[in-house]
Amino acid sequence: MNKIELKNISFSYSKDETEVVKHVSFKVHEGSYVSIIGHNGSGKSTLARLIIGLLAPNDGEIYIDDELLTSKNVRKLRQKIGLVFQNPDNQFIGATVEDDIAFGLENRRIPRKDMQDIINNYAKRVGMEDFLTKEPSRLSGGQKQRVAIAGALSLNPEILILDEATSMLDPKGKSDIRELINEMKKNNPNLTILSITHDVEEAYDSDEVIVLNKGEVAFKGKPQDVFSNRKILESLSLEMPFIMDLKDKLANQDFKIDKCQNIDEIAEVLWPSK
Amino acid sequence: MNNVTFGRYTPYNTFTHKLDPRNKLFILILLIVAIFFQFHVWSTTLLLSGAFLILFILMMLISRVSFLNIFKSLKSMWFLIIFLLVIYVFIPNKAYEGTPICYQFNEHYAIYWASFYQCGYIILRIILLFCLTMVLTSTTKPMDLTYAFEWYMTPLKLIRFPVHETAMTLSIALRFIPTLLDETERIMKAQESRGVDFGRGGLGKKFKAIISLIIPLFVSAIQRSEELSDAMEARGYDPRAKRTKYRKLTFGWRDAIAILFAGAIFGGVLYLFILDRTGTQIELFQWIFKVNPGF
Repeated sequence: MNKIELKNISFSYSKDETEVVKHVSFKVHEGSYVSIIGHNGSGKSTLARLIIGLLAPNDGEIYIDDELLTSKNVRKLRQKIGLVFQNPDNQFIGATVEDDIAFGLENRRIPRKDMQDIINNYAKRVGMEDFLTKEPSRLSGGQKQRVAIAGALSLNPEILILDEATSMLDPKGKSDIRELINEMKKNNPNLTILSITHDVEEAYDSDEVIVLNKGEVAFKGKPQDVFSNRKILESLSLEMPFIMDLKDKLANQDFKIDKCQNIDEIAEVLWPSK
Repeated sequence: MNNVTFGRYTPYNTFTHKLDPRNKLFILILLIVAIFFQFHVWSTTLLLSGAFLILFILMMLISRVSFLNIFKSLKSMWFLIIFLLVIYVFIPNKAYEGTPICYQFNEHYAIYWASFYQCGYIILRIILLFCLTMVLTSTTKPMDLTYAFEWYMTPLKLIRFPVHETAMTLSIALRFIPTLLDETERIMKAQESRGVDFGRGGLGKKFKAIISLIIPLFVSAIQRSEELSDAMEARGYDPRAKRTKYRKLTFGWRDAIAILFAGAIFGGVLYLFILDRTGTQIELFQWIFKVNPGF
């Protein structure tokens, strides 16, 4: 079943400007983890705002759960989507961690007596249960982003969109969020994740990768396929994920590592333990 | 940027910290009104002010408010104090005529001792106000204060005043103060590294330096607000829709004690004031100490 479907979407911020998104079409299946990757200015963040209805496309149709997104049902369909933005500071609305998670629940009119359990539960899931009463100024970027994810998840979305959620974080914050996403995926296989990123390592974890270039879909496919072609990646000024890079370079040295999926398996080929 | 210390919330766990913010706000207003009653008999007013000062110092001790902060903020008030002195002492006032003279310039113009008393009394009242607000702001989270404001403004909903929106705006403004302070500091450093000098130079130069700070700050604040509104909308915020509330203010036994105590003080002072206005001379000093204060 298609969770999100974009049909021939075009968008420009004003009539005279060139389109930042040009005739983009793709489908995201239920329970899949799809990455949209592209360079700065490739229109990928605009795409997230289009899908959640913060912007309206000039042309084309967006379907959420096979329902056409219109100005009438945007609030209803939006409830199915959780969105995590790039800047950890600009999406922290509450005065403390618990208030911030509660913000979405208040909007949904969840009774007060149920809120505490939901907040504790989701704070625990993102590992922020000890920080419930802390103010945002006393949290790191990664912690704020985890709170944002908890806030989005607490509303039980069917789709989670991460709009460059890790791009402003330090390496530790980045890998924490990556781990968290993979764990979420494991715990809730029905959750559809659409991750918009320019971090190839993050995109490598996903089931499918869509490469955007200048507002157009340049590539679509499994990460192994998309990231194996060095020339194409370079033409889009994208790097190769570390593991693909390593495999590629080792393959050039005539090592037989085609079947290896991770670093440990490669190590096993290079230095057999027996 | 970190010298904005006046009345900043300190996270202790005292009696005052545990009070309902609505209650604290109400008590604050009661006590402020009580401070401003002035009696016909000088010594009574002064004695009451002294009593209030002792009471407030006790309150500050209970709430673990730092006294150092009070002195720091008073230090920045020297201008106001000089201004008050000049106004009270040098501007002639008919009310002082006939009271002891401090210095006689000529037959039309003199400085009276009473004007000094009056000025001192005003300064004392300002200090009292300072202490009171200090106790409130350093024991109450700003956010709790907005909840209290929202609660008090609820009746205004009848005249279609956007109570909820106002409270939300206020709370977001409070939430972003530290963020924007950080931003200011960052921009200042960035501009300083480009040669802007915020510390020295004449008025024109300083003004130019400030402009180079204000404009980027505004641009970034506006960008932030746009992203924030997107984030709020993405999480289903609708200002017109009904929302449930996570924060609940509770009026506990501590609040009952505090309001009874404050009410008793206010009632007592009000009673004395009414007696005073209906013609009774309130010689409080004499009643208590059995001696004449002499002025």
